[in-house]
Amino acid sequence: MTATAATAPVSVDPGRLRLTDPTGAAGVLLGMRCPSCDIYLFGQALFCQSCTAADLEPVELSRQGTLYSYTIVRVPPAGWPGPVPYILGEVELPEGPHILAEIIDCPQDQVAIGQPVELALQPVPAAESGPTRIVYKWRPAPAAGPGVAP
Amino acid sequence: MNQFQPGREVVVVGVGLHPFGRFPGKDLASLARDAVVAALQDGGLPWRAIPVAYFGHVYYQGMSVGETALGPLGLTGIPIINVENACSSGSTAFWQAYWGIAAGVYDLALAFGAEKVPSGPVTVTAADSPERFIGGDHMMAGYALRMRRYMAETGAPPAAFAKISVKARQNAALNPYAHRKQTYTVAEVLNSRPIADPLTLYQCCPTSEGAAAAILCARDSLNRYGLDAARAIRVAAATLTSGNYNGRGSDHSAFSPYRTEPAALAAYEMSGLGPEDIHLAQVHDAATIGELQQIEALHLTPMGEAWQATAEGRTALTGDIPVNTDGGLLAMGHPFGATGIRMVHETVTQLRGEAGPRQIANPKVGLAQCSGAGDVTTVQIFTR
Repeated sequence: MTATAATAPVSVDPGRLRLTDPTGAAGVLLGMRCPSCDIYLFGQALFCQSCTAADLEPVELSRQGTLYSYTIVRVPPAGWPGPVPYILGEVELPEGPHILAEIIDCPQDQVAIGQPVELALQPVPAAESGPTRIVYKWRPAPAAGPGVAP
Repeated sequence: MNQFQPGREVVVVGVGLHPFGRFPGKDLASLARDAVVAALQDGGLPWRAIPVAYFGHVYYQGMSVGETALGPLGLTGIPIINVENACSSGSTAFWQAYWGIAAGVYDLALAFGAEKVPSGPVTVTAADSPERFIGGDHMMAGYALRMRRYMAETGAPPAAFAKISVKARQNAALNPYAHRKQTYTVAEVLNSRPIADPLTLYQCCPTSEGAAAAILCARDSLNRYGLDAARAIRVAAATLTSGNYNGRGSDHSAFSPYRTEPAALAAYEMSGLGPEDIHLAQVHDAATIGELQQIEALHLTPMGEAWQATAEGRTALTGDIPVNTDGGLLAMGHPFGATGIRMVHETVTQLRGEAGPRQIANPKVGLAQCSGAGDVTTVQIFTR
């Protein structure tokens, strides 16, 4: 894919996904850690959801996790820009947060609770004008990675 | 949780429904008004007696729809409040009406709700939200994620869920107001169109149109309005909660009582009653898994056992804890603003002994529980 200054891809949600490559081929999931609770949150937060402390540290979250639950969506919500059906997975990161996103590169009859998955980024072309959005997804991983020790 | 300061005793004196279904030739205000008129007639009250009205609805149909709905009954100058609280909008309107009387501000109050829900999967976020590109904003997909976990952790087979839909349709077949009255077999439920595996179409509530209304009164004012004390049903508790910070984020666990449990425990405390006292319950069964999770979060069965209670027929009309006796969301349909008050209607009708062919035996205590986006939960407990 090509990217010019005018059409450089953007993160679907800069608070949750920071692109580390101008073409959108690489990026990291963002979170926050509460130093007193040692709890991790996905995305941005003003304070800890457990203790309400406001001194949260920005962190980069694991690129691998395990599939906590999944569904094969056969009737998509309005405006869904991807293929139908699609697998929607809830992935548990080693640090704790659960992240909902599409599972790609996985046959529907081979998806299973507990399987290891890894972060994947895919472009979603703009429907009309505007930049391509890079969306975080998951794909099957060969084995459970070490992740980040929480 | 604040300590409850018991106020005046509040009773429901009138309930009314507009049938649930699809009514393309009828606007939202007309649906709502029909339910209000039915409730006024049920209670034997003139419109001019109503001093305050709370109207629950979600989808935008113009401003001040509550006023538009009630205007043709007579411009009486009363406060009319439009309430949006997702699928709990109607039950939130009821909650406000309850407290208006309990607090001593009003003797009577009208709570009503109506909706014309668009067809197709229900989403929560705005159309340009990141969730629309990520694919997770899909109500039934969320329920499907919970159902998959529930199956994995309890061993409940697909048929256990289908039996909930079968029961809902059997109850609705006895209810002239229901959107879906046709009965189905377990096999027909399982073989219906897949929506979000393992949920099939007949395990998801229809999006619907409809309206419901309830009129509440202070017990001490029944005589003043010439109301029938024998048909008045006491509101023993009315609670409302929203999501609580718990660090869970996207949680579709098999057991997630934290959404419903706080409102239920508060209602039990407020009423001095417990789950063992409940004779029937209307719960938020937007999908089959929802009914199981609500039953368990209300402590009507232990965690992970509601599917067995259903299989044993305990939640049927003839069981020891009938659930969703009018067909529930699964068969009544789910016009958001109306649903919570529809549950009040059914509970009151059952406690009065006026439920006709679907009447359960001699109920004295009924519970209604309604959920909404934002982890909103309402619980009411009614006693005869």
